[in-house]
Amino acid sequence: MAAPRSNREFIEACIKSGDAVRIKQEVDWENEAGAIVRRACELEAAAPFMEKIKDYPGFSYFGAPLSTYRRVAISMGMDPESTLPEIGREYLKRTNGEPIAPVVIDRKDAPCKENILKGADVDLCKLPVPLVHEGDGGRYVGTWHAVVTRHPVRGDVNWGMYRQMMWDSRTMSGAVFPFSDLGKALSSFYLPRGETCPFATAIGLSPLAAMAACAPSPIPEPELTGMLAGEPVRLVKCETSDLEVPADAEIILEGEIFPDYQVEEGPFGEYTGYRTSPRDFRVTFRVNCITYRNIATMTISNMGVPQDEGQLLRSFSLGLELEKLLKSQGIPVTGVYMHPRSTHHMMIVGVKPTYSGVAQQIGQLAFGSKLGPWFHMVMVVDDKIDIFNWDEVYHAFCTRCHPANDIHIYRNSPGTSLNPFASPHERKYSIGSKVVFDCLWPTDWDPVNEVPTLVSFKNVYPQDIQDKVTGNWTAYGYPPVK
Amino acid sequence: MNLWEVFVDSEKELLGDAELELTIRTLNPGIHKFTYKRVRCQVSADTKQHADQLQVRLGRGQLSKNRYSIKVLGEVQRMPAKYL
Ligand SMILES: Cc1cc2nc3c(=O)[nH]c(=O)nc-3n(C[C@H](O)[C@H](O)[C@H](O)COP(=O)(O)O)c2cc1C
Repeated sequence: MAAPRSNREFIEACIKSGDAVRIKQEVDWENEAGAIVRRACELEAAAPFMEKIKDYPGFSYFGAPLSTYRRVAISMGMDPESTLPEIGREYLKRTNGEPIAPVVIDRKDAPCKENILKGADVDLCKLPVPLVHEGDGGRYVGTWHAVVTRHPVRGDVNWGMYRQMMWDSRTMSGAVFPFSDLGKALSSFYLPRGETCPFATAIGLSPLAAMAACAPSPIPEPELTGMLAGEPVRLVKCETSDLEVPADAEIILEGEIFPDYQVEEGPFGEYTGYRTSPRDFRVTFRVNCITYRNIATMTISNMGVPQDEGQLLRSFSLGLELEKLLKSQGIPVTGVYMHPRSTHHMMIVGVKPTYSGVAQQIGQLAFGSKLGPWFHMVMVVDDKIDIFNWDEVYHAFCTRCHPANDIHIYRNSPGTSLNPFASPHERKYSIGSKVVFDCLWPTDWDPVNEVPTLVSFKNVYPQDIQDKVTGNWTAYGYPPVK
Repeated sequence: MNLWEVFVDSEKELLGDAELELTIRTLNPGIHKFTYKRVRCQVSADTKQHADQLQVRLGRGQLSKNRYSIKVLGEVQRMPAKYL
């Protein structure tokens, strides 16, 4: 099965497998669409494809695109029944290969150019921008999208998923964190020089382009998308700048980021499951041109309590990118997993503990990396623990982590303004704190006489007894075990 | 009659007779609902004082049960002239 090349192909594949539902009745862009997406996320239900939007004939919505592992599998062209470790291995295989450069196509062949609004016609309110949650600071244009920019000196392209709120018909404001690629380009170059930064926002991307836009990978996103898809992504030049955007995207907004003008943004429902970051003056985008496909579909991610793609997909790619990083340093890790319900705050790392201090080495590397601001807990367990099984991990944590010796705290590290536990001061300045939970047996304990023996069915009984008991289980009068 | 909404940390920011400068959004029905303007205005806790009505949201989007009336005196352009 080939990976869907566009949002449309993805919707079709999801409908076919029962992972999306077609909603034919009219849906209100004010709260109702958002509430449908939220409920679908909380129930881990099929993704809603809403074909009729109040006030906006000719547009549709697709919500919760990648909030289940089934849809992540479909996006990669895999069987929806694939297990998480299988999908993870496939992601690692594809993203460890050679970068696949994008191709630039002629604008007449680019679906995203079917309709073009320029000059006085530019009005974001002509698009069905949803009010995602009651009480949000505004209608959010960008909730599942990519902001495309080019580094002013190095020239490399960045696609980043940075939320964008509609402030007025031509202005958006968004949370571009200072440690993000765009945040660094703005603070190092555009702001000191007082230059505007050209940008384009692409909405309704192929699911793998969206996955690349929110993956913390060092590979430029157009190449990363190609690697994930196994073929080049098709780009087309913008109308008003030299930037190139995914040609199959549903909607493109082109414009400039101001270096010296900001408007208010937020509050907004966030991936932690709260509205945490305060309303503030944030990076401000002026829209000069809108292009869109006929019958364009706007994608909506509704962040809140687990689980939505803000947690599931980010946990997926943060965990796998950390695994690559740790392995690149020769650390004997056996796997990395982030449970989406941790709202991507806790990394669980499995390791063969062959030397002392390995848990702290893992924690320091993880927190010191580009991924570090996004999580604050690293839990290190040995290779006998199934990192995907929370019961096992939790048992190891509660029994092996010495409260005085094995909890290591790091203060004043990068954090995000979204951390619910952070003080207002810490939120404003993106200040974080981190903790490593070392759940390994100390390497200086005698493994025979000092390390406790795990007393479990699998660990203490000889194999023949285990086989006998499992074989006779129903004969003893128990129902079969799934 | 227009209906507007403002975000404040405390409703005390709206009290007093002084002219205020606020960022308000329209709640009038239609496709421009929820778009913002920066305005000079007068606000009153007496909902009959001015024709336009104002509702208030607090720091994390909580809707206040209090209603106000507002008179918009003019739009304020904060955007530097070079971008207009
Ligand atoms: C639904 C969703 C919304 C996001 N919103 C933001 C945001 O508003 N600001 C931000 O800096 N990162 C946000 N992220 C995380 C970034 O997309 C992610 O860090 C990505 O790697 C881009 O950052 P980079 O340019 O530093 O690589 C969001 C991710 C998802 C899945």
